Amino acid sequence: MTDATANQNPAHGALTTTDARTRRRNAAEARFRLYGQIAIAIGIAALILLLTSVLSNGLSSFRQTFLFLEVTLDEKTLDKSGVRDVEVMKKVTTIGYGKLIEKSLQSAIEEHGITVEGLTDKDVSDMISKEAAALVRNKVLANPDLVGQTVPVKVLANGRIDGYLKGRVTMESAERDSNVSPNQLLLADAMRAEGLLVKSFNWGFITGADASELRPEAAGLGIAIIGSAYMMIVVLFLALPIGVAASIYLEEFAPKNRFTDLIEVNIANLAAVPSIVFGILGLAIFINVAGLPQSAPIVGGLVLTLMTLPTIIISTRAALKAVPPSIRDAALGVGASKMQSIMHHVLPLAMPGILTGTIIGLAQALGETAPLLLIGMVAFVRDFPAAPPEGFFDPAAALPVQVYNWTQRADPAFVERASGAIIVLLIFLLAMNAIAIFLRRKFERRW
Amino acid sequence: MNDMRLTEKSVEANDTKISARGVQVYYGDTHAIKDVDVDIADQTVTAFIGPSGCGKSTFLRCLNRMNDTIDVCRVEGNIKLDGDDIYDKRVDPVQLRAKVGMVFQKPNPFPKSIYDNVAYGPRIHGLTRSKAELDEVVEKSLRRAALWNEVKDRLQAPGTGLSGGQQQRLCIARAVATSPEVLLMDEPCSALDPIATAQVEELIDELRSRFAVIIVTHSMQQAARVSQRTAFFHLGNLVEFGETGQIFTNPSDPRTESYITGRIG
Repeated sequence: MTDATANQNPAHGALTTTDARTRRRNAAEARFRLYGQIAIAIGIAALILLLTSVLSNGLSSFRQTFLFLEVTLDEKTLDKSGVRDVEVMKKVTTIGYGKLIEKSLQSAIEEHGITVEGLTDKDVSDMISKEAAALVRNKVLANPDLVGQTVPVKVLANGRIDGYLKGRVTMESAERDSNVSPNQLLLADAMRAEGLLVKSFNWGFITGADASELRPEAAGLGIAIIGSAYMMIVVLFLALPIGVAASIYLEEFAPKNRFTDLIEVNIANLAAVPSIVFGILGLAIFINVAGLPQSAPIVGGLVLTLMTLPTIIISTRAALKAVPPSIRDAALGVGASKMQSIMHHVLPLAMPGILTGTIIGLAQALGETAPLLLIGMVAFVRDFPAAPPEGFFDPAAALPVQVYNWTQRADPAFVERASGAIIVLLIFLLAMNAIAIFLRRKFERRW
Repeated sequence: MNDMRLTEKSVEANDTKISARGVQVYYGDTHAIKDVDVDIADQTVTAFIGPSGCGKSTFLRCLNRMNDTIDVCRVEGNIKLDGDDIYDKRVDPVQLRAKVGMVFQKPNPFPKSIYDNVAYGPRIHGLTRSKAELDEVVEKSLRRAALWNEVKDRLQAPGTGLSGGQQQRLCIARAVATSPEVLLMDEPCSALDPIATAQVEELIDELRSRFAVIIVTHSMQQAARVSQRTAFFHLGNLVEFGETGQIFTNPSDPRTESYITGRIG
C-alpha cells in the first residue's frame, strides 16, 4: 500500500504513450478498414460504369424521329367500289398506302420549298419507315370514313434518319452506307428546320411489337413486357403457395430423419443448378411429354417456377426459423393446436421474410434468359398474346430474351434498342425490390 | 430463513389433482427424469426446486405434454389428472393444455394487442358466445392477474409494449383466461425485478384459491414464500417431497439440506 509503483505490472507502460503492440493492432485495424472501403469503391465504380453505359446507349431509344405529314387518302386507290366495305378495302396492301404517303411527302417538300441537289424520288420515299404504310392502313381500316379526306398523320422516319438525328449516322458513314445517302441527310436537316421532322417520345417502343431486321425504328417491347408479366403471374401463383406449403411442412411438421435430410440437401442443391438445365427439363417434360405449346408464357412460367422454388423454400424456412420459439410455446401453452400456432402466430411473424424471399426469387426469374431460349421464347413474335387465361398459351417473348435477340441483329439501331430494353428491365427489377422493401416495413413487427 | 411465514401457513388436506407414478423421461440417450412419484394437491401451490439441469422444468413440461413438441423426448410412466391418464392415446394434448395452463420463464406475449393476447385462448377453444361475454372474460382474467387497473384504458395497445413485469402478468392473464384447473409456472419471476416479483408472488397466492399451481423456481426464498408443498429435484431424481415448512426447517435427506443451506447447486 505504501509504494504504489510496486504494484504496477512492468508489462504495462504509461497510459499516455502507445506501445508497439497497440500501434500494430491499430495499424491492422486501419488496413482492414481501408480494404473494406476499397472494395466498396470498386463496387460503386462498377455500378456507375454499368449504369452510364446502359443509360447513354439506351435512353435515346425512348425518343424517336417522326414525320408529320398531311396524307390525302385517295378513294381511287383505297376503295374503288366506294361502298367503304372493310373486307373489300383489305385487298389494298401496304404498297398502295405507301405510295400515298410518298406522294404526300413529296408535296410537303415542294410546299415548303425545300430543294436538295441530286435528290431522287427513291431518296425521298426511303425517308419514311416501312412501318408507316401499315400504320396508316390500320388507321383507315379502323375508320373507313377517313377515305377521301386529307388527314394529318405522324409516321416513323427511317431508322437511318433517326440515327442521324441521334448522332449515330454521320455524313461520312452515309457515303459508305448503301441504306442511306448524304442527300437524304441534307433533306432531313431541311425538313427538321421546317418542322416536318421531329423527335418525340416513343410510346411504340414500350407498347409495340418487335419488328424485323429492316425496320429497327418500329421495334417495340410490348409483347416482351406482356410475356414477362404473364410468366411472373404464373410463377407467383405456383411458386408462392407450393414453396410456402413445402417450407412449413419441412420446418414444422416433418420428422427429422434421413429422408427429410435428403430432401433438404436436394433443395439446397437445386438452388445451385444452372438455369439452362431447367430449360432442358422444361423442353423435355412440358413441351415434349405434356404437349404444351412452344414459346408460351405458361411453359416459361412453369420452368421459372421450378427455378424459383428452391429460393423461396430456403428463404421461407429461414424466416420461419427466425420466429422465436417462445411464441410457439406461448400458443401451444394456451392450448392452440400446432396448425393454429403456425397460422395465427408463426406465419404472420415470418411474413416479411417470406415476401422478401418471394420477390427476390421473382426478380431473379424475371431476369432469367437461358431456360427461355430452350423452350422457344426466342422466336420472333409479331402478334400480341390474348388476355389471360388463354393468353398464357399464346406465343410471346420475354424481356431478357428480347435483349438477347436485339443484340444479335446487325443494324446498329438495335444496339440502342437493346440498351433501352435493359433500362425497362432494370426499372421493373427496381420496382419489385421497392415493393419488397415496402412489404417488409409494413409487415415487420417487433416481439 | 428465520423471518419466513411458512410455519404459519396452514396446509389443508386437499384432494389430489395430479398424481404421477414412475415417471421416466429420456432425451435421446440421456435419462433426464428418473422414476419420479408425485401427488399434486388441488388449490395448493407446489414448488419444484433444485439446481440447474436437475429436471424440474422437464418434469413440469410433462404435466401438460409440452415435451411432445421435442422430437427426441420420450416419457414413460403414469401421470393422471383427476384419475385420467394424460398420456393415454385418446387424449388430445390440445384439450389437455386448455385444462393445464402454462406460464413461461421469459414473458412471451403475442405481438398483438393486450386484448387479443388474453382473448386468444377463449377464442380458439370457443369458450364464449358473444363479444360481450369475451370482454367479460378478458376483464376478469386481467383483474385476476392484477393488471386490469394498469391496462384498462389501453387494451388495444400492443402487449409487447408493456414492462417486463406487466408482460408476465399479461401471460398469467392469458393462461387463466381459458379457465384452467392447473397452472404450471416455469420460473415465472426469473426475468423480473424484485417489485414485479413481489406482485407476481402475491398473485400466485391468490390464484391458489382456484387452481392447483405448480411453480418451478431457482429461488429457495421464493419457494418458501409462495408454496405449501415443495419438491426437491437433484440429477433427475425426486429427492424429497413434502410440506414446505418441513423441507426448509427439517429436511430428511442430506442432499436437501446441502442444497437449502447453499452447499450444492
